[in-house]
Amino acid sequence: MLEGKTRLRAGALVFPALLLVAVFLLAPIGLILRFSLDVYDPSTLMKGVFSAENYVKLLKDPFYTGVLLFTAQVAALSTAVCLLLGYPVAYFISRSPSEKLRSILIILTVLPLLMGNAVRSAAWMVVMGSNGMINGLLLALGVINEPIKILYTPTAVVIGLVSVLMPFAIITLQSVLDSIPVSLEEAGRSLGYSPLRTLWAVVMPLSIPGIVAAGAICFCLAMNAYATPVLIGGPSVHMMGPLVFQQIAKVGNWPFGSALAWVLMMVTLVMTVISATYLNRKYF
Amino acid sequence: MTAGRIFYFAFVIAALVFLVAPLAVIVWASFFADKTLSFPPSGYTLDWYARAWDMEEFARGFVMSTQVAVCATLTSLALGVPASLAIERFRFPGRETLRHVLLAPMYVPAIVAGAAVYLYYIQVEIATTLQLTATFPGLLAAHTLVALPWTMRLVTASLAANGSLAEEAARSLGANAFQTFFYVTLPVIRPGLIAAALFSFIASFTELEMSLFLVGPGKTTLPIAIVNYLEWNLDSTIAAVATVQIFIIGTALLVSDRFVNLGKAF
Amino acid sequence: MAVTLTKLVKAYGEMRAVDDVSVAIREGELLALLGPSGCGKTTTLRIVAGFVEPDSGTVHFGDRDVTRVPVHKRKVGMVFQGYALFPHLSVAENVEFGLKVRGWDKPKVAERVKEMLDWVQLGALSERRPRQLSGGQQQRVALARAMAIKPDVLLLDEPFSALDAKLRLQMRTEIRELQQSAGITSVFVTHDQDEAMAIADRIGVMNHGKLEQLGSAEDLYQRPVSRFVAGFIGKCNFIEGRVVSPGRFETKAGQGLQFTGEHAVGPAALCFRPEHAQLTSGPTPGNAIPVMVKAVTYLGPSTEYELVAGSGEKLLVTAGSVSGRAAEQGAKVSLAWKPEDTFVVSD
Repeated sequence: MLEGKTRLRAGALVFPALLLVAVFLLAPIGLILRFSLDVYDPSTLMKGVFSAENYVKLLKDPFYTGVLLFTAQVAALSTAVCLLLGYPVAYFISRSPSEKLRSILIILTVLPLLMGNAVRSAAWMVVMGSNGMINGLLLALGVINEPIKILYTPTAVVIGLVSVLMPFAIITLQSVLDSIPVSLEEAGRSLGYSPLRTLWAVVMPLSIPGIVAAGAICFCLAMNAYATPVLIGGPSVHMMGPLVFQQIAKVGNWPFGSALAWVLMMVTLVMTVISATYLNRKYF
Repeated sequence: MTAGRIFYFAFVIAALVFLVAPLAVIVWASFFADKTLSFPPSGYTLDWYARAWDMEEFARGFVMSTQVAVCATLTSLALGVPASLAIERFRFPGRETLRHVLLAPMYVPAIVAGAAVYLYYIQVEIATTLQLTATFPGLLAAHTLVALPWTMRLVTASLAANGSLAEEAARSLGANAFQTFFYVTLPVIRPGLIAAALFSFIASFTELEMSLFLVGPGKTTLPIAIVNYLEWNLDSTIAAVATVQIFIIGTALLVSDRFVNLGKAF
Repeated sequence: MAVTLTKLVKAYGEMRAVDDVSVAIREGELLALLGPSGCGKTTTLRIVAGFVEPDSGTVHFGDRDVTRVPVHKRKVGMVFQGYALFPHLSVAENVEFGLKVRGWDKPKVAERVKEMLDWVQLGALSERRPRQLSGGQQQRVALARAMAIKPDVLLLDEPFSALDAKLRLQMRTEIRELQQSAGITSVFVTHDQDEAMAIADRIGVMNHGKLEQLGSAEDLYQRPVSRFVAGFIGKCNFIEGRVVSPGRFETKAGQGLQFTGEHAVGPAALCFRPEHAQLTSGPTPGNAIPVMVKAVTYLGPSTEYELVAGSGEKLLVTAGSVSGRAAEQGAKVSLAWKPEDTFVVSD
């Protein structure tokens, strides 16, 4: 087969998909980069100039800086909890002796993920609401006399985010743990390390690339979250995702909204690069 | 069985319960008899399901979500299968970069993509009078973007797992490219295709953030209807709606599991 | 330290991976567990190591019953198939790994590491990472690491299977020398009989979970106790029939043959090794049966003759090529061998 003919064929096959992505994703993202450097005008919507004032506003206005920092804090906390809870589960799945059990566990982990953020947030609201399951249980047991406020607090948002993020963390960590041979753990144990110490001294160091990758994914997802902060955080909790929507669709300040969107985009890009380079670092 | 191991098992079970329990709770709550949510329930009923369907928002949202998801799946397959073939069966410079570019929708935050596409559509309208916001095609394009990475990942994995040996044999026996594809490649990757279709459907059906920007007045998708309702109400009606979505997605997953070992797909 | 295995049993569901295995391993001995895949040799080794708990039976290190003792509390040195070196640590760090957890102080650790690396002649490579080493070097590091902790017993799981043929020969002699110089009781698992016969003091042949025979290479070769052992170790000729009285065997064709050694009356197989038989044309004392020469294969130092007996059995004779060709293809001759070289086995 001639080189040229192959390339032409491959090009034809891939062209429609590439066109879709280029026209409907890459171009729009480029567009909002341009918009983010523009300035808002209530009458003409945009002045058509080049200015960094939106980014400056984000970094200087205490409200917006506060939103950014708060979102980052919530994301960091959710990521940390997620990794702490997810690592043992990932290890359990990776080292589980039967294929069948492993499959079931992976499906159980992924199932909530695929339900969609709207449904999952709804589910947490039912659990955490003042008429919800937790309060109902505590009231019925007599532990409390009045419903306690769980929903519409930052804590609730962290809980909601952790449940969204955990499947990603578990699957990423599990796949990295799979690549660490069990014989290394057996070697550690034969040399006198208890199973827990072996985990710490042998498995953990070797799984660091996976931890970094999982952490990066979780952090991004938390930063960019929309449904969870809106539904579980309520009106008093302000995070970046809902702010982008508000600025663009409600307030109409496209330049500023675009700047906010680009900040999220940048964080995601940086995290993706970090996790991709880390995942490539192998000892084997 | 030491104390340590018991604690470990309990921990893992607790974590899995944490993941799955909320879904179980909302399904349970969809059958509560009380008008306002209360635990424990005074009784059970199926009324909320009927009531949900009677509510225009949910009915229209359900219909719209289904329509878009089906179309997005078909479009995603139509674009993604040839692209996957190109990436897995051909060699050309920039192949890996192209693979990542086509997976890009997965890396762009949904809210960012939604905002970007929305503003882009408006600019297109200003420049060409072609309206894309609040239209079905406009929404479809965005949903196809969401579905495409799933199609690509599952079909490329299927192609990679079933090497090109059989196809080369077919070519050597005289089959042309189309015949090879239809008689040799397609049957072999069929499980992967079905899984790709189902996952694309799921990805589109549950899509929220992009749709928020792109549905028009009077139009809505099921996830949006759910979110809108939840901003003001929390009761068994919404639990019923959520349960319907859980049921649909769950069925799609169970069906995919028959075709692709889900334990290995990730 | 002597290691004693008593009536070990390990079953997975219906299948017994280890079926009533008992071995008294002498101090300083190198014991080989030999057998085909799935015979239970690796499971037995892992029971000694402590990774698998037997359903019944005991393991003793000296006088100490270690059957229920977890791995990290036994003192075993284990060399794994594939070596299992810690990739994120240097050679020296690998070797000192077991010492750090025992609370040795730094100078003593450094001294011991140097001692071990010198013992395996890898002193110069102490700062390298495992992936920078060759297969043979990695194996020596694995050995040094296992021995650094002064274990009661050294266990090796198919230690040479990852090496190419030439390296395999070299390493097995080296490991044997190192093991003898340390005087440590050792058990290694292999499916390669040449390896087992070359370096082990005694060999335990296992099949389907059972220990069929335990003895020196010579014991197993000259006096196998079962059909499996006779056929597994070296090449063997089998003639089916039955033992009619002590020393007398009758083939299916009704011919009488003599054998040495004891065997109960009843169905059995008569055996002799290919190098003990000759092809002749005239009458001979001792055992003889008529055969036809099916093929002659010249192998350099020896020549192999594939034969077919009257009753259809395929037999093999090897003879030194020095004495020239004993018969040509297609010839009908007599296969003769001495009763002293004949034994009888059953399943």
